[in-house]
Amino acid sequence: MNDFLEVVVVGIGNGAVYAMLGLGLVVIYRSTGLLNFAQGELSMFSTFIVWTIWNAGVPLWLAILGGMAGGFLVGILLHQVAVSPLGDPHEKPLAVVIVTIALFLALNGAAQLIWGTVDKRLDPLFGQSQVTIGGVAIQWQKIGAVLVLVALATGFVLLFNRTKLGLAMRAVASNSESAGLCGVPVPRILMLGWGLAAAVGTVAGVFTAPQLGLGTNMMQLTLIFGFAAITLGGFDSLIGAVVGGMVVGILSAVVPQYVSTFERMPLAPAFILILAVLLFRPQGLFGSKEVQRV
Amino acid sequence: MTSTGPRWVRYASGAVMAVVLVALPFMFPAFRVNQFVTWMCLAVAAAGLNLLTGFNGQISVGHGALYGLGAYTAAILVTDSGWPMLATPVAAAAVCFVAGVVIGLPALRIKGLYLALVTLAVATLFPALVEQFSSLTGGSSGLSLVVPQDDCPRGRPECPVRWESPIDGLASDQWRYFVFLAVTVVMFIVVANIVRSRTGRSLVAIRDNEVAAEASGVNVSRAKILTFGTSAAIAGVGGAMLALNNGRVNPTSFTLLVSIYLLVAVVVGGAATIVGPAVGTVVAGLFNDVIAPELPGRFENAAPVILGVLLVIQMLLAPNGIVGQIRDLQARIAARRHGGDPGGQTGHLATPGGTGTEPEDLGSASGT
Repeated sequence: MNDFLEVVVVGIGNGAVYAMLGLGLVVIYRSTGLLNFAQGELSMFSTFIVWTIWNAGVPLWLAILGGMAGGFLVGILLHQVAVSPLGDPHEKPLAVVIVTIALFLALNGAAQLIWGTVDKRLDPLFGQSQVTIGGVAIQWQKIGAVLVLVALATGFVLLFNRTKLGLAMRAVASNSESAGLCGVPVPRILMLGWGLAAAVGTVAGVFTAPQLGLGTNMMQLTLIFGFAAITLGGFDSLIGAVVGGMVVGILSAVVPQYVSTFERMPLAPAFILILAVLLFRPQGLFGSKEVQRV
Repeated sequence: MTSTGPRWVRYASGAVMAVVLVALPFMFPAFRVNQFVTWMCLAVAAAGLNLLTGFNGQISVGHGALYGLGAYTAAILVTDSGWPMLATPVAAAAVCFVAGVVIGLPALRIKGLYLALVTLAVATLFPALVEQFSSLTGGSSGLSLVVPQDDCPRGRPECPVRWESPIDGLASDQWRYFVFLAVTVVMFIVVANIVRSRTGRSLVAIRDNEVAAEASGVNVSRAKILTFGTSAAIAGVGGAMLALNNGRVNPTSFTLLVSIYLLVAVVVGGAATIVGPAVGTVVAGLFNDVIAPELPGRFENAAPVILGVLLVIQMLLAPNGIVGQIRDLQARIAARRHGGDPGGQTGHLATPGGTGTEPEDLGSASGT
C-alpha cells in the first residue's frame, strides 16, 4: 500500500507540473482559440533565462520572477510577429499548426545556439529534503509544486473573474468582434494572453528542470502530458487544467508501474486518454461545448 | 502536371526535369547520390501526407510514425522472414493502410487542430513503442537488414543487404538511385491518378465544405477513412524504401522531427499540388544536408532557427508554397492576357473549410 501511495505522490508532483503547463495552454486557447504546440519550447526557453540569472548569483526565486518577465516579453514578441498576422486560427488550422511548429523549431534551435547542447543543472526551488507522512516519503519540492499550482490557478481565476482586464479577456474570447465594438483593445488583449501563458510556462519549466536536467528537449514529453491534461479538463477551463493535470500525472505514474505493456511508455495512458476524451466527450470534464454553425 | 500554363511549357519543364533526374547520379559523388535517395524516400512519404493534409484537409503531424512503421515492416520481413527486398514496400503499404484506417476512424470525429494534437501524440509515442516491443524491433539499438548469402565476408551466414548493379559501367549507388527513382515516380503517378479521379474530386470537396460534399452525394466517412489509409500506405512505402536504402532501422530515425519535416516539405512545396511535396523535400533536403553542414561551427545549431523563421515568413507571405505560388502567378498572367478576373489568388491554406468551393482548386485537381 505504501508503495502505491508513493507512486501516487510522484504522480501528483508530476501532475502539478502538467497542470501548470496546461494553465498556459488554456490561457492561450481562451484568448486566441489555438492550440499552441510551441508552449513547451517557450517554457524551456524562459527556464534557461531563469538559469542564466540564477547562475549569475541571484537567489532562485528572484531569478524565476526575472525568467517570467523574460518569458512574458518573448511570448508577446512571438504573438505579434508570427501568430497575430495569421488571423482566425479555426479558419486555417494548417497555417496555425505550421507556424506554432516553426516557433517550436526556432525556439529549440535558439536555445541550443545560446546555451549549448549540454544539460544544465537547476536547483529545486524547495530543496532536496523530504517529509514522511504516514510512512510515505514526500519531497518538499512536490508539496511546493502543488502549492505553487494552487496559487497560480487561484491567481488566474481571480484575474479572469474579478478584474476589468479579465472581463475584457473573456469578452474577446467569447466574441472578439463585439468586444472590439465595445471598445476593448482586442489585439492588445490577445498579445497579453500569450505573454501570460509564457510567464506561467516558466514556472512549469522551473519545476521540470531539476528532475529531468535543464536541456533543450526537456519539455517535449511534458507538453503532450499538458495537452492530455487540458483535453481531459476541457480546453477552455482553468479548473479543468488543474484537475486534468492531476489525473494525467497520477495515471501516467501508476499505470506503467502495474501494467507491463506500458512499462516503457508512460505516455501511452495519456495518449489513450486524449483519444478517448476527444472521441466521447470532446468538451472535456469542465469545458464549454463547441457549437458549430452550418 | 500541376500548372495551368500552356501545354508546351508543361512538356518542356517535364523534359528538363527528366534530364536533370537522370544526369544527377553521374554528376555527384556517391554520398550525395545516397542523400538524393534518402530525399526520394521522404518525398514519397510527403506525397502520401499531401493526399491527406493538402487535398483532404485532415492535418497529420504523425506521418513520421507511419513512415517508421513502413520501415520496420520492411526490415523485419527482410531479416526475419527472408522476403525479397522489392516485395517489402508492398507489404509495408498493406500494414500501414490498416494502421491508417485505424487512426482514420477516430479522425472522423476529431478535426482540425485537435486531429493535429492526436497525431502529434502518435508521433511522440512511436519511438517508445519501438522500445517497448524490443524483441521484435531490436529496441533502441535498432535492426540491421541482413540476408542469408553464401559469399558473406568472414564466413558469416548472413550479411547486410547489397545493391549490386547488373549493368556494367553503373556503380551500385547509381543503380540503386535509378531503382528508387522508378519507385518514386510510380508513387507520384499513383497519387496524381487518385487526385484526378472522381475520388480525388470528392476529397477536395470534403476539404472545402464537408456538409456540401455530403449533400452532393459524397460518402464522407468512407472517403475520409480510405484517404487516411491510402495516405498511410504511401508513407509506408516511403519508409520501406528508407529501410532498404539504409540497410538498418533505428527508433531515433522516426522521432517527432521526421513528422514535422514531412509536413514542412508539403507546405513549402505546395499543399494540394502533385509535385509540391517533391519540391518541398528537395528544398528541405538542400537546407538540411547541403547548406546546414556548411554553417560555421559556432552556428551549427542555427539551422532550425533559420528554418523556423523562414517558415513563419512563408506562411505569412506565400501560404500556398512554391508550386502553388508559381501556379497563382501563371493564373494571374493568363488573366491579364485575357483581360479576365485573376482567379488564382485565393489559396488552399488561406481558406480550407472556407466559404465555398474554389473553381481553381477543383479545376487543377481534375487535371486541367
